[in-house]
Amino acid sequence: MSNFRTFILALTASFGFPWLCLIIIPAIKYQALTPVAYDKDKDGVEGYYPPAPINRQGQLTYAREGCAQCHTQMIRPTQLSLDGWHKGWGQDQEARPTTPVRSNTLLDYLGEPYAFLGVQRLGPDLTNYGWRASSRQEMHVMLYAPRQRHEWSNMPAFKNLYEVRLAQGPKSELALKLSKPFAPEAGYEVVPTPEAEALVDYLLSLKKDNPIPGITAAAVKK
Amino acid sequence: MQTTSSSADTDVQADNLRRAAIDKSVKGPVLFLFLNGAFWLMASTILGVLAALKLFAPSFLGDCPVLQYGRLQPTHLNALVYGWGVQAGLGVMLWIMARRSGQELKSGKSVLYVAGIFWNVAVTLGLLSILFGGSTSIEWLEMPKWVWPIMLAAFLCFAWPMTTMFARAFRPEGFMVSTWYILGACFWFPWIFVTANVALHCLPGLGALGAGVNAWYVHAVIMLFFAPVAIGSAYYFIPKITGQPIASSQLAQMGFWALACLGGWTGMQHYMGGPLPAWMPAIGSLASVLLLVPVGVVGLNHHLTTLGKHHLVASSPTLRFTFLGALFYPISGVILALISNFTTGPTLQFTNAWYGFQIVAVYGFFSMSVFGAIYYIVPRLTGCEWLSVRLIRNHFWFSTYGIATIVITSLVAGVQQGGDLNHPEMWDQDFYQLVMNTQPYIIARAVAWGLITWSNIWFLVHLMLMVAGLGRRSSAPTLLHHGHDESSLPHGAHA
Repeated sequence: MSNFRTFILALTASFGFPWLCLIIIPAIKYQALTPVAYDKDKDGVEGYYPPAPINRQGQLTYAREGCAQCHTQMIRPTQLSLDGWHKGWGQDQEARPTTPVRSNTLLDYLGEPYAFLGVQRLGPDLTNYGWRASSRQEMHVMLYAPRQRHEWSNMPAFKNLYEVRLAQGPKSELALKLSKPFAPEAGYEVVPTPEAEALVDYLLSLKKDNPIPGITAAAVKK
Repeated sequence: MQTTSSSADTDVQADNLRRAAIDKSVKGPVLFLFLNGAFWLMASTILGVLAALKLFAPSFLGDCPVLQYGRLQPTHLNALVYGWGVQAGLGVMLWIMARRSGQELKSGKSVLYVAGIFWNVAVTLGLLSILFGGSTSIEWLEMPKWVWPIMLAAFLCFAWPMTTMFARAFRPEGFMVSTWYILGACFWFPWIFVTANVALHCLPGLGALGAGVNAWYVHAVIMLFFAPVAIGSAYYFIPKITGQPIASSQLAQMGFWALACLGGWTGMQHYMGGPLPAWMPAIGSLASVLLLVPVGVVGLNHHLTTLGKHHLVASSPTLRFTFLGALFYPISGVILALISNFTTGPTLQFTNAWYGFQIVAVYGFFSMSVFGAIYYIVPRLTGCEWLSVRLIRNHFWFSTYGIATIVITSLVAGVQQGGDLNHPEMWDQDFYQLVMNTQPYIIARAVAWGLITWSNIWFLVHLMLMVAGLGRRSSAPTLLHHGHDESSLPHGAHA
């Protein structure tokens, strides 16, 4: 290194190259991505891929509570893992589907400001949770009292998203159906706040296994 | 004859005066950074205990939203990275840069204080925001988006005087590997930090690519900020204490440039098998495995420099911590290679192994090296010696065993978790088995963080006493073993 300027130039070049290739150019190219239309003849479906955006308001709650610390949103291909064969992790809720759930593409997350692919998988994957979800009522119970369903669950109880209030008149149909240790005192009921409703909307909107135009669409058409 | 010896004496005297003047010029800001850093370190380890407990028993301390795992865990890591890591790193960088370039901090000391205060206020507000529901859930960038410009400005206030010192002392024929690394850290960190923050907070949204940028950010900060600071410090202190020159300047240059070229490519392999274009994880994986080359080269160089002087590791606190930190560099490299390649990577992906890597890199490797530097620097700035050998020894052993426990249990837990997730018989099972199998490791982690917290409380107290000027008044440094080899500490080691 003959002088200071050469040294700085070398530092800039050695880091600038990966910076440009890995971050800047892909980020610029990403801005040009748009939903792709299905070809009705070839794919057998109509509309756009990805079809609908996720519920952003609920995603903010998802971020705030740090759900991504324990839940992933990413199905890996079968050559790397058995994610795709896991029961209920795709659209087909039946045991032993004929084809594995497909792995994800960049377009699956189009329209999300940030995709919460996840830090650890301490709980089940949520990529296609929208298909698996049973009812809003059960999801709310899961969020309010995770140990009502599985007493071994290590999921935190998000009681801050719910309101315990004096039951007036007939019980609200929104009220959570809680059993003994989790139920509020007699005369009280637990109802979801708008945040909890948004979070559930978001979870229900997680369906990232839509057919890919020209590739898997024809195969899954029913 | 007499004149020669007396002129040599005056030379030594002049040298010592020059060193004292440099030390005096950076004293305030460096001690400020160390003290605040040590406070955040303690806070972070306490949060580490809590986070592990909450992961094991989610209803511990009630269902208060502020203390749920999803908020505690990011707070714990952010306190470790920004409160302790970057802050203490800046202190070490500033002192070594001033000493190694032989430059006093000319002016702008008050700017450094203000920058330091702003940094700490920003970190405090950022961490409180995470706890009270402002988390962005973007790894290592969970703090709300108004925090980063303040932190960036504060960092640049420190980076600027270091750059000018480096530029003034740059000698084309000389090769000063420790300041190269430190200048690199000054230079890369703001670049990485701005890129990731602008991409994730200011652009309209990058979807899954954003997750890739985030993974790149975490890896780049480890490889191009934490690693250079720790290596730079090791390259400064190992020769200083052992009294031997760095074994090979070729190896040192090679290690530096290989790290500089490869560091920026790592990261995206974190989401291997994910939605990113396949070449991105592939190249990240490649770079992470190739990093074994510079890691091995630097490790070899440090080993050769210490060769024959291993008895000093037992007596000098600085060398003992630095030696262990330098030992953790190859270990971090191997763990990175294990979680990044496409054979073992998919098993360890999304498991505790990732946490193990962050801790081995930021705590095992970086922090241990920084502790070594602090044990050397602080007595020179405060003019008194460390009070208690027992406290230093306690700090060393509790940290060492604690970190080793966390890293080993995290890796084994990762293998267990990954094996469970990918086990063919698990295809229709719920997560019962997985939760039960990871519990023992999480308990071990809580205990280990507890041990480390214990040692960090004493470290903080010890450091506070030193900064208050209550250290030992003595011309002899505090050594861990007083024995026959005490006199064998080379003269330079005391300077």
